Amino acid sequence: MEIQSPPPSLRLPADCSIGGIRAIYDRIRSLLTQQRDLQIDCSAVDKADVTSVQLLLSATRTADEQGGRLDLTEVSQSLKCTFQRAGIPSSAFSERSDAQHSETK
Amino acid sequence: MTTLDPVEVFRQEASDLFEALEGALLDLGSRPDDRELIDTAFRALHTIKGSGAMFGFDKVAAFTHEFETAFDQVRKGEISVSKDLISVALSAKDYIRALIEAPEGTDSIIGDAILDELRRFVAPAAAVVPAEAPSAAAAAAVAPTAAAARSRGWQLHIEFDRDVLRNGSNPLDYLDDLRKLGTAFATARTEDVPLLDELEPELCFLKWDVTLNSDCDRAAIDDVFMFVQDEMVLSCEPLTDAGAEVETAIEAPAPVIAAPPLAPSAPEAAAPLRPEPEKPAAAPAKSKGDEQRRFDDKGLATVRVQAQRLDELMDRVGELVIAQARLSQLAATTDDISIKAIAEEIERLAAGLRDTTMGARMVPIGSLFGRFRRLVHDLSRDLGKPVDFVTSGEDTELDKTMIERLADPLVHLIRNAIDHGIEDTASRAAAGKTEIGRIEIAAIHSGAQVLVTVRDNGAGLNAARIRAKAEEQGLIQPGAVLSDDDVHQLLFQPGFSTAQTISTLSGRGVGMDVVKRTIDAMRGSIDISTQPGRGTTVTLRLPLTLAIIEGLLIRVGEGRYIIPLAAVEECAELSAEEERVRGRDFLNMRGDLVPFLRLRDLFDVAGQPDRHQKIIIASSGETRVGLIADQIIGSHQSVIKSLSKLHSDVTMFSGATILGDGSAALILDVAQLLAIGANVGDGKHLNEAA
Repeated sequence: MEIQSPPPSLRLPADCSIGGIRAIYDRIRSLLTQQRDLQIDCSAVDKADVTSVQLLLSATRTADEQGGRLDLTEVSQSLKCTFQRAGIPSSAFSERSDAQHSETK
Repeated sequence: MTTLDPVEVFRQEASDLFEALEGALLDLGSRPDDRELIDTAFRALHTIKGSGAMFGFDKVAAFTHEFETAFDQVRKGEISVSKDLISVALSAKDYIRALIEAPEGTDSIIGDAILDELRRFVAPAAAVVPAEAPSAAAAAAVAPTAAAARSRGWQLHIEFDRDVLRNGSNPLDYLDDLRKLGTAFATARTEDVPLLDELEPELCFLKWDVTLNSDCDRAAIDDVFMFVQDEMVLSCEPLTDAGAEVETAIEAPAPVIAAPPLAPSAPEAAAPLRPEPEKPAAAPAKSKGDEQRRFDDKGLATVRVQAQRLDELMDRVGELVIAQARLSQLAATTDDISIKAIAEEIERLAAGLRDTTMGARMVPIGSLFGRFRRLVHDLSRDLGKPVDFVTSGEDTELDKTMIERLADPLVHLIRNAIDHGIEDTASRAAAGKTEIGRIEIAAIHSGAQVLVTVRDNGAGLNAARIRAKAEEQGLIQPGAVLSDDDVHQLLFQPGFSTAQTISTLSGRGVGMDVVKRTIDAMRGSIDISTQPGRGTTVTLRLPLTLAIIEGLLIRVGEGRYIIPLAAVEECAELSAEEERVRGRDFLNMRGDLVPFLRLRDLFDVAGQPDRHQKIIIASSGETRVGLIADQIIGSHQSVIKSLSKLHSDVTMFSGATILGDGSAALILDVAQLLAIGANVGDGKHLNEAA
């Protein structure tokens, strides 16, 4: 049985609003240039806005475009609320729980 | 190349917004129903909130949100503007400023107390909504009642300019505001969100379709977007009853969002629109072309430049003017026509550049006057003296350095006018005056000078009392013969005060002497006129600029000196008769006696004077003095260089300049010479010179 290691993970900072979005963008873009799949840990996010929503949408599409997958894990309440306020369904993203996260195949 | 610190940019912009906010709040005191003022205050608050959040000033955003929410009650006409509300609002403004400028030094207890005060004014039915309100509003929006959904409403299509986020606006706030109007179903349209390689993360790519079930009118929707209407395209179509039913069917199964928007086709699939019943009502707010033009116009109107850069530019222009003077002098000694032509061309260009640069540094004095409105408001409240504050000539322009230096002197003059000049209400009533005092501050151009006057309609100066106090403080000898003007000038003596008690405002005698020193340093002068029982007027005469002046170059002995041309009234040759009579200190200028000073004597120049001496009549206001020199060389653009600290005790010169041959020339301080001339008139000074 082959054990598949989980894709590399990125933990988002608490502030994912416009003031700090450029650095997050650079990091995600850099990671998705190096690999097809990416997990983004959203547990720490307590400030988000339109820019973070757009960035996650763009990253999801980019991963999809290159035949990979982008998963959001542990989406914080604050980020969920931002999706909700922006009229974005949670189904827009692939969200994984911790259990799925550590699953081996 | 320097990079702008975005936080510093925010602080600067916030500073402008605070000025607008404070001005609007103070004006509301006299015009509480002025819709324009209310909107101005609200707009300033809204922008501070949005920009604060954008630049990480979370406390600012949260506090301002609550302030704004409370003030929204005013905007909606639910509560009226009162003086108490304005006072609290001003305190709230000060607190926000402190949060921005010195966040570590602010105490949240003060902020909480201010908010409590604000809440007292807000109608109970519309209590201040906490900062987390948007998410609560959002939650309410996604759980609509069927009854609400059945109501008629609007279908909105919202597209913000891409730059809207950078400008400090937050589209999610506007969606939240829509939700307050009724039940709103927002569906994001994501088709424009590009892949990462093409994504500019600070731009806005999302658009929204919103179904708003509400009986609100179109104006209420426009109201939501009033501060961002120049940065968006909004189309707004009325919903039919049938449309509302469809909407109910769509939103019911979706607990979180109205429709899945991710797939490019999703918006169309989720679109709840009905065929448009009435086209005229559905016209978009404006075309993108109009928007772009408006943006371009705004961009052309003003550009914010760091003050330091303007100073550097002025310095360089000054050096250019000096170099150009040297070139002109060299060109004058050559027969080469082409060199002369180039020198003249450069002279013309340098003069144009000088004027343009000096023009760029000119700032309307109204920006300064605005600051005093708050001062008057607070002093009036603290002293219990109702005062009207009237300003005029706000468009009068002065060099920015002058504006900065003028602030403190004017603060002192206004404080004195209210504290000492304006009587208390009972005294005014007893004197048959209106109970409300009046302070006027005005600015006007007068030749190459600007006159700034501070006028009150208070009790006027009491010369006898000033005199008695000066004698008591040993500033003058008892029984000294002094004119009223001389007595008034005692006010500017260090340590002089007639206040009976020392207050936080005045009474320590510190202030008026500082006013005089500052105005003197600006090559200005102060006149005081007063009428007992009617009030006092203090006039500051100031040069337009401190950087470059037009001067009259003269020679006294071997030395060359500059007299500011603005102070020169006329020049004449000293007649042989006047030359001969050396016991006399006056000239007869067409019937007027004008005191004169022999500059050779004043500067202790050895040797014989030139055969044909020249006299230059210099003046300031009504005061004139004749200055006798050996030669008048001509006009000279003088780039003013400060004297070093070693020369701080030199009173007859206000600075120096570099001449075309590289040598230095001192600039005469006309105010000082006028004072010496006045003493000559009184027979107190320089009799030995005559």
